[in-house]
Amino acid sequence: MTVITIDDLVKRRGSREILSGISFQARPGRVTGFLGPNGAGKSSTLRILLGLDRATSGTALIGSVPFARLPDPLATVGAMLDGSGAHRARTGRAHLRWVARSAGLPRRRVDEVLEVVGLTNAASKRIGGYSLGMGRRLALATALLGDPEILILDEPVNGLDPDGIRWIRTFLRERAASGRTVLLSSHLMGELAETVDDVVIIKEGRVVADGTLEEVTGSHGTLEDAFFALTTGGAP
Amino acid sequence: MTAVTPPVTRSHGREAARALAAELSKLVSLPATWLTLGGTLAANPILAIAFTNAARHGPTGPRSAPDVGLTSIAYVQAGFVVLGVLAACSEYEGGQIRTTLTAMPRRSLQFAAKHLAVAIVALPAAAITAASGVVLAAGALGGTAAPTTAGHVVRTLSGAAAYLALWTLIGVAVGALVRQTLPAVVAVLGYLFIAGPLLRAQASAARYLPDSAGSAMWSSVDGGAVAPARGALLVSAWTIGLIAVALLGYRRRDN
Repeated sequence: MTVITIDDLVKRRGSREILSGISFQARPGRVTGFLGPNGAGKSSTLRILLGLDRATSGTALIGSVPFARLPDPLATVGAMLDGSGAHRARTGRAHLRWVARSAGLPRRRVDEVLEVVGLTNAASKRIGGYSLGMGRRLALATALLGDPEILILDEPVNGLDPDGIRWIRTFLRERAASGRTVLLSSHLMGELAETVDDVVIIKEGRVVADGTLEEVTGSHGTLEDAFFALTTGGAP
Repeated sequence: MTAVTPPVTRSHGREAARALAAELSKLVSLPATWLTLGGTLAANPILAIAFTNAARHGPTGPRSAPDVGLTSIAYVQAGFVVLGVLAACSEYEGGQIRTTLTAMPRRSLQFAAKHLAVAIVALPAAAITAASGVVLAAGALGGTAAPTTAGHVVRTLSGAAAYLALWTLIGVAVGALVRQTLPAVVAVLGYLFIAGPLLRAQASAARYLPDSAGSAMWSSVDGGAVAPARGALLVSAWTIGLIAVALLGYRRRDN
């Protein structure tokens, strides 16, 4: 089971309500775009889904279990959050190696994912010397280590150069085409319209649109127009 | 609760072994680990020789090699504490904690694996530190050393090694609570070198604190301290208590 199910997620920090009942699904074989302006609650939702933050109420399930109860997390879900997710003093290879060890993966997987993201030549360099884009590639390599059924990516195109953006679009389409689940968040609409099948738009912690790309775009012409119409509250 | 069947138990064991392998891999691939250990192991002989010279020319009568050679432990423990703090706080650099918790979401298991990995690295280093000091002191004191027994040497050496390893783990726990290297180092070293000595001078109950109680594990000069075995128990209890408090925070907090 590789459906992601978010059900009535509420998150409060102090007196501030960050999420006010988020519900949606991300299905296998499809790229689901989780869109919203900065501060809308995208990262909070993904962090709760990955067991990093605790929800005030509601559930976030991978298949039928919360992330923290997955028998083999790395082979089920690959996660790419902000930054590199790696300590700057290690080399890229050393970082991937300890992650691989945590799941009992063979050392050759490290070289394979380095190759996939194009970091083979930088593998022996300290992560502190990586560019922003290289850090993001390392984070993606980490997510791919366990060849997971599900990819959860927070702002994956942030920090990538145009080449990298083009590459990741193709890559994610291929993942979905092979029957896997891809959930990605973004605040950049233009970059995504060609990549996503399903769209969930949130604003101020609430879902304001949820459907296929065609359904959500509807009469607005483009996804970008639909997004601004839905999130700024103004007339289309 | 559900019954524990053999396959479940086995996969838990495998998960624990993998978590330990990952935590060991993190520790040995961090340059700061080797800088801290190397610096500590290099500083100890220098301090041990200095203390031995002071003992030879000091006003007190002859002292034994373990007594003199382990004097430096009270100072080089700083290096071990820093090692522990670094192991814990390095998780919060570059967002590594999110990689750690998505790879090993069972937080208690991962937390235990981290402490065990640090103990595995710290204990041999602690044993080398303790032994090198005593060997140097014995060589330098020569015939002027007060006689000692093999039993006393073994007890103080193993006591010193265990004491250093336990304080390394206290460093991990405090690091996990504070999450930032500098404040955590300041907190523990501030306690060890300022607050602890002040408390000792003020209140007799201070001998149950982890620094005073712990020094009974290796030092025989501290009059009025607790018995060595009791000291070992007290420091172990403090260590376990601090790890437990840190784990409670670790399980609850958002990352």
